Amino acid sequence: MNTVLQAKGLCKTYVVNKRQNNVLKNIDLTVSEGDMVAVMGPSGSGKSTLLYCVSGMDRVTAGEVIFNGKETASLNDKELARVRLDEMGFIFQQMYMMKNLSVLDNIIFPAVKSKNNKETRAQTEERGRALMKRLGIEDVGSNDINEVSGGQLQRACICRSMINSPKIIFADEPTGALNRSSSDEVMNELLKLNNDGTTVMCVTHDPKVAAKCSRVLYLVDGSIVGEKVLGHFDSEEKSLRDRERELNGWLMEQGW
Amino acid sequence: MPYDCELEDELKALDGVDYVGTEHHYCIESSKNFTYKGSKMDNFIDIAYTISDEEMYLKFYDEENNTVDGVEKGCFYSNAAFIQDIDVSKGDIFELSFDDNKLSLKYMGVIKCPTIAHEATASPYLLFDAEDIKFIGEHKKNDIFDDKDVFVNAADTEKIDKLVEKYENAYVMPRDEIKEYFLFDMVAAYIMMMISAVLMVTVFVVLRFTIMFTISEEYREIGVMKAVGVDNGSIRSLYIAKYLVISIVGALIGYAASLPLGSMMLDSVSQNMVLECGSNALIGLLSSAAVVALIMLFCYTCTRRVNKLSPIDAVRNGETGERFKRKSLLRLGSSRLPSNVFMSINDFVSAPKQFGIITVIFTLCLLMMTLMSNLALTLKSENMAWLFGAAECDAHIYDTTYFVDAFVDYDNYKDILAKTDIMLEDIGIEGESGMTMGFRYEVDHGDKTANEFCYVSKGLKNDLVTADEGTMPQKRDEVAMTGYALDDLDAEIGDRVSITIGDKTDEYIITGKYSSFLNGGHGIFMHPDVDLVENNNFQSMGVNIKFDGDPDDETKDEYIEKIKKAIDSEKVCTTSELVKTATQMSDTLNSVKQMMMMITVIVTLMIVILMERSFISKEKGEIALMKAVGIPNSSIIAQHTLRFVISAVLALIISTAVLMPASNAVMNFVSSMIGDVTGIKCNYDPLEVFFICPMILVGVTVIGSWLTALYTKTIKASDTASIE
Repeated sequence: MNTVLQAKGLCKTYVVNKRQNNVLKNIDLTVSEGDMVAVMGPSGSGKSTLLYCVSGMDRVTAGEVIFNGKETASLNDKELARVRLDEMGFIFQQMYMMKNLSVLDNIIFPAVKSKNNKETRAQTEERGRALMKRLGIEDVGSNDINEVSGGQLQRACICRSMINSPKIIFADEPTGALNRSSSDEVMNELLKLNNDGTTVMCVTHDPKVAAKCSRVLYLVDGSIVGEKVLGHFDSEEKSLRDRERELNGWLMEQGW
Repeated sequence: MPYDCELEDELKALDGVDYVGTEHHYCIESSKNFTYKGSKMDNFIDIAYTISDEEMYLKFYDEENNTVDGVEKGCFYSNAAFIQDIDVSKGDIFELSFDDNKLSLKYMGVIKCPTIAHEATASPYLLFDAEDIKFIGEHKKNDIFDDKDVFVNAADTEKIDKLVEKYENAYVMPRDEIKEYFLFDMVAAYIMMMISAVLMVTVFVVLRFTIMFTISEEYREIGVMKAVGVDNGSIRSLYIAKYLVISIVGALIGYAASLPLGSMMLDSVSQNMVLECGSNALIGLLSSAAVVALIMLFCYTCTRRVNKLSPIDAVRNGETGERFKRKSLLRLGSSRLPSNVFMSINDFVSAPKQFGIITVIFTLCLLMMTLMSNLALTLKSENMAWLFGAAECDAHIYDTTYFVDAFVDYDNYKDILAKTDIMLEDIGIEGESGMTMGFRYEVDHGDKTANEFCYVSKGLKNDLVTADEGTMPQKRDEVAMTGYALDDLDAEIGDRVSITIGDKTDEYIITGKYSSFLNGGHGIFMHPDVDLVENNNFQSMGVNIKFDGDPDDETKDEYIEKIKKAIDSEKVCTTSELVKTATQMSDTLNSVKQMMMMITVIVTLMIVILMERSFISKEKGEIALMKAVGIPNSSIIAQHTLRFVISAVLALIISTAVLMPASNAVMNFVSSMIGDVTGIKCNYDPLEVFFICPMILVGVTVIGSWLTALYTKTIKASDTASIE
């Protein structure tokens, strides 16, 4: 398997009121193509910060982040933005979307902005509709974003993250604002994407969500203190329960 | 004194008359009778008049608005018309000469008095010591232009009207009409007030937005307060108290700043009139209190939403249950616009109220600039010449000494035109000359009688005087009248009026109505074949010259210089210069226009910076999201800049569409206050009003919004984590 993302000695420090706060400490991490990695840990352990640093949304204080063979620290803001636009997808806990655009326009917006996209506007729109159909929200394309449910909106966010066929999708607690049913729907969609070959890195507090991932990293005080390899999920109920049980046991050992 | 006192005696004998005072005016024929700094003066057109300090029946004020009670021997005061276009200081010495008789006089400053106020045809008035007046009376050349004002206090003005009708060269002006003397000054003051009003509206709009956005920024804190049980009244009172303190401090600073600024603005419009300044401080305080009250009202309405929000809504930054409230109107998928342009237009149409108000303010600012430009240009344009009784031609000789003989003996106009034609021939210029002259005559219609100025054009055919209604006189027994003259006589087109010219009374049919600034809009235009008879009430804008062969501007200037040399006078000008001199407003409006340009730059920058800053603050989440998904800073900045540019361009289109109708409406409104004038079509400088002014607006908008939009760079992609 090719390595998509690699972090070496990654450190992130914030200075607040002249006091240094080391949020991430010397993290080494490798994510291979097709992985579905969950990042877990107590609140304030640095999960989201790790996601932002490796995705180029935030600059690292020390260490290296190599994405798809490129050292992100060497890229300027414009180049980094282009990498995020063309090669990464993002899903957030809150279903952030642009309020002046319809659901479909929000989905195709990154593709319209991508210089790699040589399609006509109509072709891009068609591709957006196809993605929506794949995620079961094809009926809400022309709706305003206040006219759809939270689950539908998060699936629309997944569509947006997929529109430029990224190499990796970063998800920051993607089910955190959803009920169990919607949460399952969203995770199933992410699993489908992963099964189709897209790498996913996901921050979560929910063991049920993490149990569907192939690897689980456990962070405490800015350091990865443990890693559990669960292997790819075949989506059968029995296997999920086994994985949850296995993961919960491991999490207990980590101090969860 | 060479004055007849019969009128005063008859007035004193009338019942109800308790006071009669006479202010005699000696005339000083020309500005050339004065020498200043070694040169003969040529800065004013009209005859100068003297007033003796023993005959000051009205109140005279100096520049500081102190009452002037008398003048020392060897000194004099003047009105503004005397010192126009020259740089004079108090204490400067002028020399008044009549041939070899000379009198040295010390200048004491400007005097203000309603009857000598500056208006379109204002003459210079000079206030002397009684002894110095005697010198003038003894040595001046003729007394044809000498006149007098008789001030009467009476309960019944009708009796005075009847008495004065007997006197051919006298007319009555009630006290109320004296205010008309200040019309040009009032117009400048009105324009200043209009500008202030627009500025105030603009500032209040910006203020309201600022308060609204500041409060919406703090919804989260409001939510927390509501969640812990603080009641709505307490929360609102917190904000109201905060803004009360801010507005009181602001109002006090504004009040302090308004004192010198207000005086400066008052000074700029009160060169000739005394404005009541005693209550300025009180008005300032009341205005400041009104501003505080208005801010409190804004604050009250802006905080009203606190009542409607549940704690959790407030924590969600004011979103009421629904996550978002605005509706998408355009479709990115079906649009062919570049994405940045699309996003900007989409933002604009999604928040029509906010961007609409910005557009309206931009439109007002642009219109104020372009309107001033049009008005200033029109008030010095050749198109206005006919309103002053001057034909639109190539050159005007407005030196009174050149054509004064026509008023001594009317028939002399023929000699004046003949000598002009010979002079032109002598200096090798082919052209023809003409004069429009007016004398005041008694006009009767039914039981109505009025003393009206009757004008005749001789020489050049004055085609430019056109009738607003009906036709200009085509036959000898036809006349056209201004609306005011028609009102004076209770007449209308088609009626017959009797006009007494000299000893002869003839009937004339009214064929049309025309517009005029002359004599406050009261006038009658007669057929060129009519011959007038001179009397003491006359008007003329001088000799008009039309060059043959339609020469270019450079050649015209060359010819004018030749004429100046030939008649030994600097008082020769183009029609445009004549109108500019007559209105005296073009320069004022040009200054106002330049001020408007500066104000527009400041207001536009203020609006753009404040609004854009507010938008950035409100859209922080979206900006962070765009950055997170990989939209570069340049795209975000372009989108934010373009939204304001769209407003500016829209303002440009609207103002372009309404500019000319608005200019014509304002010009006709202003003109109707000065004279009886309708149907003026404003001139415009296409380069200035359709390119330079709009480019100033768009340029300032682009620079202001782009610089402010750079602030979006401080928002990071990772800020999505901290956005609720």
